[in-house]
Amino acid sequence: MALEDYRAMMERCSNCSGCKWIPFDKIKSQRFSENCPSISYYNFNTHSARGRFQLAQTLLDGDCEFSPDVVEAIHNCTACGSCDSTCKITRYNLEPLDHNLALKAKAVEEGYALPEQKPIMDSLQQEKTMLPGELRSNRLHWASGIDVKDLMKEKGEVAFYPGCKYSYNEKLKPVAANALKLLINAGADVGIFGSADMCCAGRALQMGFENDYEQQAKANMEVFTKSGVSVIVTPCSDCYHAFKRQYAKLGLDIKVMHLVEYLDELIQDEKLVMKNRVPMTVTYHDPCHLGRLGEAYVPWEGKEKKILNQVHTWEPRRPRYNGADGIYDAPRRILQSIPGVELVEMERIREYTWCCGAGGGCSQTNPEFASWTANERITEANATGAEAMVTACPWCEESFMNAKDEDGNTIQVVHLIDLVLQAI
Amino acid sequence: MALAREIYRAFESIVGSRNISEDLGIRETYRCIPAQSSAHFGPYDQKTPLPQAVILPGSTEEVQQIVKLCNKYKIEFKASSTFWATMGYIGSDCAIQLDMRRMREIEIDAKNMTAVVEPYAIGATVQAEAMKRGLTLNIPGVGCSSSPLASTAGWAGFGPTSIFMGCATENMLGAEWVLPSGETLRTGSVGAGSGWFCGEGPGPSTRGILRGVVGTTGTMGVCTKVAIRLHPWPGPDHIPSVGDAPAYRAVLPDNFKGYTLCFPDWGAYANAVNLFHENPDILFLGHRQYNKFGRNLKVAMIKILNDKNKQLCDLPALMEDPVTKKQNEDMKIDVQVILAGMSKRDMAFKEKAVDTILEETGGWKSEFMQEPDIAAWNLMYLLRLGHKNLNYTLCGAYEGTFGLTGNVFVSSSLMEEASALKRKWELESDCIAAVGGDSDMGSISVMGGGGATGWEFFTQFDAYDKESIKNTKLFADATQEWMTSKGLGVDFCRWNEDARRPDGYNYTQEQHDEMYINLPQPHVTAYQYKVREAFNPNKLTGSYYRTLTPEKLKEQD
Repeated sequence: MALEDYRAMMERCSNCSGCKWIPFDKIKSQRFSENCPSISYYNFNTHSARGRFQLAQTLLDGDCEFSPDVVEAIHNCTACGSCDSTCKITRYNLEPLDHNLALKAKAVEEGYALPEQKPIMDSLQQEKTMLPGELRSNRLHWASGIDVKDLMKEKGEVAFYPGCKYSYNEKLKPVAANALKLLINAGADVGIFGSADMCCAGRALQMGFENDYEQQAKANMEVFTKSGVSVIVTPCSDCYHAFKRQYAKLGLDIKVMHLVEYLDELIQDEKLVMKNRVPMTVTYHDPCHLGRLGEAYVPWEGKEKKILNQVHTWEPRRPRYNGADGIYDAPRRILQSIPGVELVEMERIREYTWCCGAGGGCSQTNPEFASWTANERITEANATGAEAMVTACPWCEESFMNAKDEDGNTIQVVHLIDLVLQAI
Repeated sequence: MALAREIYRAFESIVGSRNISEDLGIRETYRCIPAQSSAHFGPYDQKTPLPQAVILPGSTEEVQQIVKLCNKYKIEFKASSTFWATMGYIGSDCAIQLDMRRMREIEIDAKNMTAVVEPYAIGATVQAEAMKRGLTLNIPGVGCSSSPLASTAGWAGFGPTSIFMGCATENMLGAEWVLPSGETLRTGSVGAGSGWFCGEGPGPSTRGILRGVVGTTGTMGVCTKVAIRLHPWPGPDHIPSVGDAPAYRAVLPDNFKGYTLCFPDWGAYANAVNLFHENPDILFLGHRQYNKFGRNLKVAMIKILNDKNKQLCDLPALMEDPVTKKQNEDMKIDVQVILAGMSKRDMAFKEKAVDTILEETGGWKSEFMQEPDIAAWNLMYLLRLGHKNLNYTLCGAYEGTFGLTGNVFVSSSLMEEASALKRKWELESDCIAAVGGDSDMGSISVMGGGGATGWEFFTQFDAYDKESIKNTKLFADATQEWMTSKGLGVDFCRWNEDARRPDGYNYTQEQHDEMYINLPQPHVTAYQYKVREAFNPNKLTGSYYRTLTPEKLKEQD
């Protein structure tokens, strides 16, 4: 939808402040009560979902322009969807996250992208990754030495799609390699896309580059279809969201699973048995794009219909993405299945988790803001007394590896797969 | 209009460049569109004026310096915490907006049962911190997303727990107050260096000037800290919340019970409420809550809010469902109450007392509201009071109309007539949601220990639909006319009509003089004029502070 199409939502926002807090029913302390990194860091109302509704209205009315401060405010949103989930505790007809993305897209369309976004988009065009400096020719280095099918050359049921971070980041490459080996050892008919493997471009959408995203998505969908796989498994939450929610809008009709879902099934089916004790107290960070943004896309076409004079609904019933059905239990079940692991929860979890700061491209375009956001989460993690923070997303993992809490302390950051490997 | 460079830099030097903005787009997000907020005003579709700058102070000292500069350059100012209500926004073109969100400290004194709060500590966070110490606070009807400091220092501040905990004026202790002139005054005991425990002394007692009964809506300077009275919380150190969004539920021990009490007629209802007023120890909370969705809708709405798969489009089918209809009819005249036992014996006494009152008045407990999931949801909803936001669920916008605040026997005797008037508008005009006429809601008591009830009829409309806004205002004209004919005073959505003009700007003194000279007691506003002269000589804080030029009284004489 174009920004103009959100006009009714802009004017129907109730200015209730729900978008600035975790659900009020979930607040346990003041320290960890806020939900939106953007307004928490910048403080001006403009940086909240409410502010963005109002800003967009003003822009459309021609009452302000894309000034440098306005452009910064628009793009310094991690697209984490926290405002969206809390808004929908009470509202049934607003879509704050979609609106934030439409506002970014409008800015990009009008020529108001951030200068830091240019090399990222250039890299997508040229090297098929949104990590500037990385070469397509090096994309498969992470898998060197693993005897795995190239799905463009031979048939397989499951495609393992690591995503850019796991493909290029030296510290994270072993996670992808270990995950793939684990799937192979568990008997999965799994392969990779070989030289056809490219960026999912989900971040392009999160940054407002709709055309670039769509072009890349269609290219990927062509690869997926050509390969004939029936399941795509990814350890990256960003890629997961892109395929499951966004590509599905473009017609992708292949089952998409996050690695944690796949492992959870293997454990349930007793194809993966946790034998070794891993004595460790951990806390789990729900990645935004796996959790509240991990709900499956449901096709819908319809129009607004008012009932009872002034109650606005949709006809037919419109799907409602409020985060209630995100992927929260699978990773927790895996942790609980590992002998010796004790899970202690942070205050902000599941659909009201705090973002790692990397979303919306912010870790690349505004590292100071992203780093502050990650530090906030480390403070929360350390408050639990856990020895390690476990997550299931490379962007989160990278953010937290470089973060410190408010007292300057770090925490060990572990991908779920590493714990599983220790346990089997 | 832009601030002169010299002035902007002076403000900037106080708070730092990161905490001030004069960018047009940023400032535009500090304008209120009253139709989108419940504002006791309107509803109007015009924006409030554009501030010349938005400033985020981080300390009392910074506030003080800003206010002094405003006096030096004759710039109006207004501070707001959460920016929900129109009354928190500026009212002239020559004004700056203070956004208080950087000031959010909460200091709990468990021994003395007080909390010292800064402007951006919201009800939910103060409650969460207090609960860790076995305490809680009265969260007024505005809900837990709003600032207790704002309610306490600046507005009426009554709510569902007022029968047990009192209202804002009863709970306000000392304050740290930056006067409109820029001086800082510490009121009550803290002004004498004796701590925050008392609002009246030792030290200056200024309650009547700082807030009065209804509050001065931030027009008498900026309160940077307020001490509020806390109350016992006989529960866990936080409210354990379970369930899928949006149906979060509280898992609490047996010393918490929520009931929906239902009555055969308004006479029985009034008798029961009166008995609760006469026996104020029984209730922890008393509020007519879910009727805000409307007499015909409330059970259907509760079912929607308790099922993650249901949506507003399910309303018609649910309303036709025979079981829902029966449950709804059962709750036609109802009130929600919560009992909180401080001991087993106390709980047993309270349960027995409620049963006795029901027996004496012919009332009953709604069985539907006792279903375990619904009961747990109800407890969560009422105890945390995130409910302001659910006020918007139906249409996105609402205003309170009628406002049958006062003696329960008077208001309840008029309830059906008021409902019929609203129902007529629902059927004959499509400007407001058709919910069954009666959409009365509010507190069982607006004061500690029981007393007057505080009711309003929630009237939902569509802020995107200009006709809906315009005609809702006409509906408010009709309800005001009815209120006047019954001698009931000012309609709820007109409480601030004399404080801000329909175009969003302040009234001039001349306009206020024309209005207030005709008040039944004009001397009050003439007195307030003199107070303002003393505290706010440069008239920098807008026209929410009602004043009449004293000379006008002499002319009248």
